[in-house]
Amino acid sequence: MTTLIVTVLGFFFAYGIYIAARSARAEGRPETFLDAGLEVPPWGYIFAGTGVVLAGLNLNDHFLLVARYGLQAGHLAVGLVLVALCGALVQKRLWLAARITRLRTLGELVGEYFGSVAIRIYLLFVLFLFSVPLAAYCLAETGVLVSAASGGDIPASLAIWVTAFFLFLGSVIGGWRGVIYGVAAQGFLALTLLVFMGGVTATTLDGLAFLSQSPADGTLWDRVPGVAQFTDGIGKETPAGGVWTTVAILTFALALGGLVLSPGFAFLGITTSTRKGFAFMQVWMTAGLAAGALLLVSPVIGAEIAAAPDGSSPFAPLLSRLASAGQLVPVAFLLMLVISLQIAVAFYVASGASIATSELVTRYMLPELSGSQEKLAARVALASIYLCIAMAATFAPLGAAVFSSLALSLSVQLLPAYLGLCWLPWISRSGVLAGLVLGIILVVFMEPPGLIAFEGLFIELPWGRWPLTIHSAGWGLAFNLAACLLVSFFTRSGAERERRQRLHDEFAANYRAEIGGRAASGAMWSLTLTWAFLALGPGAILGNTFFSQPILAGTTVTLGVPSLLVWQVMFWFLGVFIVWWLAYRARMSIVDAAPRHTIVLAPRGNRLERQPTPAWISRLLGRLAER
Amino acid sequence: MDRSTRSLDRHALVMAIWLAFGFVGLVLFDRGLGAGGVPAIAAAFGMVLAAFAGHIVVNAAYGTTFTRGELALGLVLYATGLVALGVATLFSPDFATRHFLAFSLGFLAVFAGVIFYMVTHFGVRRVFTAFDAIRDFRPHGGDTP
Repeated sequence: MTTLIVTVLGFFFAYGIYIAARSARAEGRPETFLDAGLEVPPWGYIFAGTGVVLAGLNLNDHFLLVARYGLQAGHLAVGLVLVALCGALVQKRLWLAARITRLRTLGELVGEYFGSVAIRIYLLFVLFLFSVPLAAYCLAETGVLVSAASGGDIPASLAIWVTAFFLFLGSVIGGWRGVIYGVAAQGFLALTLLVFMGGVTATTLDGLAFLSQSPADGTLWDRVPGVAQFTDGIGKETPAGGVWTTVAILTFALALGGLVLSPGFAFLGITTSTRKGFAFMQVWMTAGLAAGALLLVSPVIGAEIAAAPDGSSPFAPLLSRLASAGQLVPVAFLLMLVISLQIAVAFYVASGASIATSELVTRYMLPELSGSQEKLAARVALASIYLCIAMAATFAPLGAAVFSSLALSLSVQLLPAYLGLCWLPWISRSGVLAGLVLGIILVVFMEPPGLIAFEGLFIELPWGRWPLTIHSAGWGLAFNLAACLLVSFFTRSGAERERRQRLHDEFAANYRAEIGGRAASGAMWSLTLTWAFLALGPGAILGNTFFSQPILAGTTVTLGVPSLLVWQVMFWFLGVFIVWWLAYRARMSIVDAAPRHTIVLAPRGNRLERQPTPAWISRLLGRLAER
Repeated sequence: MDRSTRSLDRHALVMAIWLAFGFVGLVLFDRGLGAGGVPAIAAAFGMVLAAFAGHIVVNAAYGTTFTRGELALGLVLYATGLVALGVATLFSPDFATRHFLAFSLGFLAVFAGVIFYMVTHFGVRRVFTAFDAIRDFRPHGGDTP
């Protein structure tokens, strides 16, 4: 199998280099290396965006979670509908705001809109978390997977460095456009393979038979273990029946929203050429195909992984079972996992290098760079980041895993800033900053980096990870939103508001959402909240027995599948309908006309417009340059 | 957007479609030659037809038709497939008894799909003219009766 794995992976690396070279030949100006001239094709956004969402969920980890916890973890796939809802809420207006203000990164946009350097720095920090620890974690997983599948013939470190080298080569040749072409092709392939594996597993494996078994540790494989559990958190106290209570599922789904709110994903949206593609990606690809395929395929695959004997590689029995269906079938399964990880690596590193060059190098450090120098700077950034992540993946995979746990939770803390930029002009800079401070503190102290550091340096904390089975993103966002609303209430007016209002006046004049009258609007938002409550929130507990022991019927119905799975599929369908209603009918993801006016957010004399190089950077550069 | 970028966009999309469907088709062919049998081979040819349909949709979206390179590659692959089928049938009795019919029908289905596309896209007359080899041997390029 090793030869087949090497051949197939080598073929896809060759494809990446080929498409990057074609892309490089077609690029006209050197500046387009960073942002593809804001002309990424809509299909690139559709496939790459879906691929990034799948990669962000991490197929590998998701299958392992389902193998460990059963359908309660499988429920997380419904969370992709919430990701699509998040996209519908912000993507269109973000794209419009970028085109209206002629700004090209989220940091520039949010920084100038709120007039805050602190928010820009925070965005750069979140970008770093995605580009370095998360990418390194995915790269390390790639190495482990390839090594395990080849039976140790290919060492993990070799797989890591070869993968990093070829991904770097593709990025450094093709620039942002080349990366998006590659990621889009891989995203489409991953999705096709996911659907294909559903068919193969249904005909080859035992289906849902595992759900009738009762695991020895008391984990409930076919039901959600309660609305919430009053535990101190993972690492301190084990929740009975499993971790994935309804509030854990809901708050984890909120954390997944951090994928579309991340600076890299925002950059993808902003650099997309036309307004087409947002709705299609959100409704049919993410909420529809990706969520549905994952929902139906992962329990079957999880069952096979769960059957692996202790001490063996978790995927080994599954791969050998799949080999009975044909020698290429296990390779296809491995490829699906590996390319979903490669998508994350290539996308987050490339977006990190482009944004860092644009936001940090050309803004503060070397503002007089020409186009070709900018391209060189971006290439240096790519090389540096790839070197960092390859080293981290080889020598400190645990550290990468620990720090990557912060990425999604800290990214979703940007929600109030997004809401302010896209919908609510009364959300003020002070409100966003106050919320961010609280959100960051809570997230950091409920995830491994904060817990390990604090307990190592000071005293034992009384809580562990995700206390009360509420994900750190949920804790952070609740306090973040509360603080943001409270502070914004007192600081909502003033000169700052006038600047923010100009953008919203433009939205109101030319790009109104067509939600309908008060009744239609009320119905739509009520339906969305009701769906969230029943599909992901506390109402999901009803799904445990809703179809197998119908209320008031007083009898037990034999369905052949667990009641929870039927509940999940039903609310997945309803979720797709709701996203469709919001994205298409309410036109929240449809732009009818390209922007005609330009607005300058930062007025003349504003310190952000002058873009002064901070004194410490000037001094440092002076010392280096004058030697 | 300039023409070269637009052409590259189209090319990359076509590649993405063939890469995904083609790889799955390859896996299904492999499965069909093993334990999968006729259903897997039929599904594999279905993937090829799906990729072909996707290619046509891309052509329609970009207002183009198949390029010379794509036509040449398609013909070479199809011809190679037919030759491989012939060789396998001649030299492998097991293949001839187990898979010949499925593969033959599959190749026929792909041919029918291409003809269907050509008829709907170009019209019956132009398709017939394209295959009318006798016409080419007439004097004056076949224009005189």
